[in-house]
Amino acid sequence: MAESKEKFFELRNLTVKYHSGSSIIHAVNDVSLDLNAGETLGLVGETGAGKTTIAKSILRILSENSVESIDGEILFEGRRILDMEDKEMQAIRGKSISMIFQDPMTALNPVKTVLSQIAEGYKLHHNCTKAEANKRAIEMLEMVGIGEDRAEEYPHQFSGGMKQRVVIALALACSPRLLLADEPTTALDVTIQAQVLDLIRDLRNKLGTAMILITHDLGVVAEVCDKVAVIYAGRIIEKGTLEDIYDHPTHPYTCGLFAALPDMDKDVDRLSPIEGLPPDPSVIRDHCDFLERCPYACEKCKKFDNKMIEMTEGHFVRCWKANEEV
Amino acid sequence: MAALVETQDLKKYFKSGAGLVHAVDNISLKIEEGETVGLVGESGCGKSTLGRTLIHLNESTDGKIIFNGKDVTKLNKKQMKDFRKDVQMIFQDPYSSLNPRETVSDIIMEPLKLDGSFSREEIKNRTRELMDIVGIEKRLRMSYPHELDGGRRQRVGIARALALKPKFIVCDEPVSALDVSIQAQILNLLMDLQKDMGLTYLFITHDMSVVKHISNQICVMYLGQMVEMCDKKELFAYPLHPYTKALLSAIPTTDIHNRKERIILKGEIKSPINPGPGCRFASRCPYADESCNQGVQACEVRPGHYVVCNKAKEINQL
Amino acid sequence: MDDLKKRHGRHHGYHEKGRKGKRRHHIDPSIKPGSAKYIWASVSHNKGAVFGMVFLALIIVLSLLSPYICKYNYSATDFASMKAWPSAQHWFGTDDLGRDILSRVLYGARYTLIIGLLSTVFSAIVGVIMGAIAGYFGGIVDSCLMRFLDLFQAFPSLVLAMAFCAVFGTGVDKCILALGITGIPGFARLMRANILRIRNMEYIEAATTINCPTWKIIAQHIIPNAVSPIIVEIAMSVSRNGLAASSLSFLGLGVQEPKPEWGQMLAATRNYIRDFPYMVIIPGIFIVLTVLSFNLIGDAFRDALDPNFKD
Repeated sequence: MAESKEKFFELRNLTVKYHSGSSIIHAVNDVSLDLNAGETLGLVGETGAGKTTIAKSILRILSENSVESIDGEILFEGRRILDMEDKEMQAIRGKSISMIFQDPMTALNPVKTVLSQIAEGYKLHHNCTKAEANKRAIEMLEMVGIGEDRAEEYPHQFSGGMKQRVVIALALACSPRLLLADEPTTALDVTIQAQVLDLIRDLRNKLGTAMILITHDLGVVAEVCDKVAVIYAGRIIEKGTLEDIYDHPTHPYTCGLFAALPDMDKDVDRLSPIEGLPPDPSVIRDHCDFLERCPYACEKCKKFDNKMIEMTEGHFVRCWKANEEV
Repeated sequence: MAALVETQDLKKYFKSGAGLVHAVDNISLKIEEGETVGLVGESGCGKSTLGRTLIHLNESTDGKIIFNGKDVTKLNKKQMKDFRKDVQMIFQDPYSSLNPRETVSDIIMEPLKLDGSFSREEIKNRTRELMDIVGIEKRLRMSYPHELDGGRRQRVGIARALALKPKFIVCDEPVSALDVSIQAQILNLLMDLQKDMGLTYLFITHDMSVVKHISNQICVMYLGQMVEMCDKKELFAYPLHPYTKALLSAIPTTDIHNRKERIILKGEIKSPINPGPGCRFASRCPYADESCNQGVQACEVRPGHYVVCNKAKEINQL
Repeated sequence: MDDLKKRHGRHHGYHEKGRKGKRRHHIDPSIKPGSAKYIWASVSHNKGAVFGMVFLALIIVLSLLSPYICKYNYSATDFASMKAWPSAQHWFGTDDLGRDILSRVLYGARYTLIIGLLSTVFSAIVGVIMGAIAGYFGGIVDSCLMRFLDLFQAFPSLVLAMAFCAVFGTGVDKCILALGITGIPGFARLMRANILRIRNMEYIEAATTINCPTWKIIAQHIIPNAVSPIIVEIAMSVSRNGLAASSLSFLGLGVQEPKPEWGQMLAATRNYIRDFPYMVIIPGIFIVLTVLSFNLIGDAFRDALDPNFKD
């Protein structure tokens, strides 16, 4: 059924490998996701889980020196991104799909005013006059709450939160249909984070941009996302709607993540960490990736074929025990 | 009970090209023995500087630091050496806090060797014991820091800090570089150690949920000034300073059904360079008026609950 | 190395380019990066460095043995066979005074190498100490030392070396001194930058909290972490100073006749470049190969010492 109806955006069995020294790093394994126009997907996982690699493969900006192979398909409005010519890709990058990076300090060019940086990107994709581009840039800056009077300033004259707003204006200037936000608020303070999340939510509602929000912070996901995918060791281990994941977390890893968070509302004496460490990314396992750390692991898990199980409609879990209620 | 650590009007200013940076301004706080005081605030508010000044990694500019009844700023060389044994620090960045060219056991042994009062055998045994206490496997004895994950590195840093049995440890964002699952392991370890050894912590962090979990008392800082200090439960139940209120409301929660009302702050953050008198939060405060820029006083609004805001009573209808 | 062949999981245009990437040499993963063994394994896997080391070893041995293995004395003139083209008797030919160029080139290697090495040792020792002091203590000490060194850097290094030679006089020892002094600022700056970076690391603070005395902090925590770039710079500096020694000699300021320094050989025979080009080309080739060897070795060390531990 999903085959016949064209999805807005889809990842099919995306697999990315890097080489590092003499070993191969399996950064992303067989990741499949889909997204409807205007939807927001939260991609949650810990350091090294492969979140950023997914975003970078979508834009095809992975460093060519370290990539061993990319397999699978990335479909954007029905077109295969991985098969595109460089020229086609350039037309999409920054226009139809754009990205917000974690560190606003390095995403902006320090020797250009914020106005000219935004105008430049717009002009490149729209073939318009400089005056038109500048007008658009000022509009965008105003939308993110930066007045015209500050448009001619340089990035270093802005605070961290303001810079991230400039980056957001930059990413949204060409009205992309898909926005990849890679830890957009991690480098910011809590009160500033609240402002930026507020802004992102507002703009998404206003412009109807679809978004993939990459983060390790379950709280941030709860604030803005419609759908959630939890990624562990390069594989999606649970995906579903926000309610599916937050009200009925099922995979032991997802449950463990929630349990490890210090609770703001309840007082607990001890936290319940997930014991152990993420597995070695240079090894492909023929059993469940979470086996060594899972409190419910048993003999049968060693033969787990890594298939996703559909719990309720749209709620998938990569654990054979999911149906048996752990 | 007497406080183990106490500061009185502690100030630390740095010179910079544009003027004096008031990193820590007039901070007075008390830390009771065996307790944890959580120091929260946003980046650049001076919380790290305060921690470093407390254990004399920085010279203080003015004010008193009293540790165990003695003024730290007036210690001679010999006394300073003894003071250093009693206070330790756990650093934020487990990447840069360990010398990349030393092995795990070298790093843990170093304080014992430098102390000079242990035999070789004792050093060896104590190192093994410390690794055991913080939960580092014996086989990692000869590993280099870059071969360990962030959590293990942080454990090595903790073992080094514990080597000489200190009384007071400044924990400078010890878990903010770690993933959630590892963060919980380290927090549990720190709490267990405190219970077993009767340690006193100053726990510096920007993460409100972490500070809520680990602290007894909480001190909130904003741009070098203390804005609110009280018992943990009191703070989360009755935040009185407008900044604390905004801070608490801004924490994203995982509860998707009961969304809190957010206080979104407007206005620019003041520069800490020559900030002038008055409340530094005034530029972003929804209640501020001209009088806030004149000066600001700390007052005990409720028993044991200090707020540095002229309008605290008015805003909270107390 | 079998796994090299197994890797082909690409069929999209984009991925093909990924293959061009430079892959690190295959070193036994059980060897710890940063250890002496690892550095040696990495350097010895580098073809350029192996070439450089073999060439230099050969040159050094031949130069030391040259009085015994060469048929002719390097300074013996033979008016019967002046300006002879390379032949079975004189493999590299003879110069305008009938001296055997092979003997001269081999014997002369010692001057280039000795000047290059000793001047580098001199500037490295002085520069590293000055840089370390400036970086560690900072403030006024730093300003004074660095402004003083700025004086040296205000002139192109060769011009400065010439000026020193003019003051000290000519000769191997003077040449070493002149080049050594000229090289100090480079080492000092490098060391200072390194120290400043390391000084801000938290492990230095951690050392203070455990009562580590200042000298021990410098010796145990700062220096070992600051040496890698210095080692690379030393290899580069030897090649640079060897070349500079030849340049000075060429200009008549370094090693004097009849000592067969390569640059001096170039200078003495440069009038014959049209009719007897081999006289100039042969010492020239040796200069180029020697400089190249040191550069290749320096590059290999840079790769080996680069602590890309994090990934």
